[in-house]
Amino acid sequence: MTAVVETEGLTKFYGRRRGLEDLDLEIRPGEVFGYLGPNGAGKTTTIRLLLDVIRPTRGRMSVLGMDPRDPAVRGRIGYLPGELALEGREKASEYLDFLGRARGGVPRERIAALAERLDADLSVPMGKLSKGNKQKVGLIQAFMHEPEFLILDEPTSGLDPLVQQEFLAMVREVRSGGRTVLMSSHVLAEVEHVSDRVGIVRSGRLVAVEDIAALREKAVRRVELHFDAPVPREAFENLPGVRDLKVEGAGVRCTIDGRPDALVKAAARFTVVHLVSAEPDLEEIFLTYYSESEEEGRHARAGVQEPA
Amino acid sequence: MPALVSKSLRDYRRSLIRWTIGIGAFFTLYLSIYPNISENKEIYGAQALAKYPGALRDLMGGMEDFTSGIGYLSSVVYQLFGPMLFVVCAMLLGNRAIAQPEEAGTLELTVTLPIDRRRLVFERFVALALGLLAVAAATFLLVWVLSAVSDMGVPADRILAAHTGVFLLGLFFGVLALTVGAATGRKGAAMAVVGVVAVGGYIVETMGKNVDWISWLRWISPFHYYLDGRPLHQGFPVGDYLVLAGATAVLLITAILAFDRRDVGV
Ligand SMILES: Nc1ncnc2c1ncn2[C@@H]1O[C@H](COP(=O)(O)OP(=O)(O)O)[C@@H](O)[C@H]1O
Ligand SMILES: [Mg+2]
Repeated sequence: MTAVVETEGLTKFYGRRRGLEDLDLEIRPGEVFGYLGPNGAGKTTTIRLLLDVIRPTRGRMSVLGMDPRDPAVRGRIGYLPGELALEGREKASEYLDFLGRARGGVPRERIAALAERLDADLSVPMGKLSKGNKQKVGLIQAFMHEPEFLILDEPTSGLDPLVQQEFLAMVREVRSGGRTVLMSSHVLAEVEHVSDRVGIVRSGRLVAVEDIAALREKAVRRVELHFDAPVPREAFENLPGVRDLKVEGAGVRCTIDGRPDALVKAAARFTVVHLVSAEPDLEEIFLTYYSESEEEGRHARAGVQEPA
Repeated sequence: MPALVSKSLRDYRRSLIRWTIGIGAFFTLYLSIYPNISENKEIYGAQALAKYPGALRDLMGGMEDFTSGIGYLSSVVYQLFGPMLFVVCAMLLGNRAIAQPEEAGTLELTVTLPIDRRRLVFERFVALALGLLAVAAATFLLVWVLSAVSDMGVPADRILAAHTGVFLLGLFFGVLALTVGAATGRKGAAMAVVGVVAVGGYIVETMGKNVDWISWLRWISPFHYYLDGRPLHQGFPVGDYLVLAGATAVLLITAILAFDRRDVGV
């Protein structure tokens, strides 16, 4: 099967400012691809290039097997911009009607069903909508024509947790329907539960593309164990993957790289009363990636060894 | 009607209504004082007006024959203020085609619709032209009725000729704003260009009649192709109007090509 997105050396400079450089990316049919990176990394630049909003400085790309310059390809895409602007007296329902007609017609019932799912009020003038409600309108227009490929730039920003859950359910439904999703975020937690693979960008370069399961294994996470009685420090020293060990009476704190297996086995010899394992945090994952890339290597390793 | 044309017209509706009312109020005000002027020939007659400095008279289009219906209409209504109101209205509409939505950020979603970029500009132009045509048609009917009511004795086809010129002139400047917006994405730039071309063009055309060293510039002034044919006196200056329409078409093509080439929203 042909790739949904294929780029080769895709590069965008804004004047002399680098937006994205030498991106080689492949997104496969039917997958949810999480596109991660801190602010200013180049996520929006990539997405705008794929939609022909901006033009590459150099490099090649194809989207759904076509040149993005061809307007027909855009009819097969649902797009949520990162900075969605909705304004004026026009009601959201009228705007959605227009977008639907421009894309060749969308049944009203489908719009109404999506609005109900996300609990969006479409009868309010768009200029009066809160950020969260604008985001809902943005999601509705991206999903409403049931596109083959959804491109969502920071889709969960501004959504309250309940709506976020509903949104993630919608993404899962899209994937089970065999359709493809590209969603960007600067927070891993927002994409990790639905993504099959993630790409990590930093300063305009793709640092890594990982299977989400593999990424979890690589992730650094903080673990805290509490026992019913004080434990000896030696029992936890020099375990593979365990760093920053702190033993204080009946409490053990450390960070682990990758699998927690050795730590769990060591802890099993005592009576565990409480176990906390923090979600791996993206910043730390970034640091592991940086320490692997030669250019930033030294700098990033220093960061890992001296946590603030 | 294509989705983008009807959507744009819906967006413009309020301001179209406001401009129709505003321009209509201007025409009504000026036409309603005409009876007063035609009855006071000693104040507004040729000798009285001859007291004004020549340059000022030139700027006001000569100010000959204030007291006849045609003279009054052509020097008061259709000389400066009428066209300028249309120019400003068209400029603001022209900015709403590309530059304003681009600066507001709403254009991003529009360009990701399955509509060709060139078509997008063209459909926005169609909406601009139709919107301006609606304002022109409504205000033409108003002038026609008012001039008949106040016994100005101006044939309807002359008013139509002048009004068509105002429309074409407005459309030209509207498309000029659209084109600068399509090329740069900045509505400030579009307004600056329209301001300079409109004010400069008007001055060049009116002063150029008697000032030799600028008279050669008259042929590049858009106002030349409206004022020079004296449509209220002589009927449709077909050739001049075709030049205006042709220049508008050239601008439109420039807009389409410029917008098709560039990044949006950067
Ligand atoms: N319109 C622009 N003009 C100049 N620089 C830009 C523009 N848009 C983005 N950039 C720069 O390109 C880089 C990538 O930006 P962006 O793609 O918006 O990042 P992200 O979406 O990951 O936050 C940043 O350094 C940003 O400052
Ligand atoms: Mg962004």
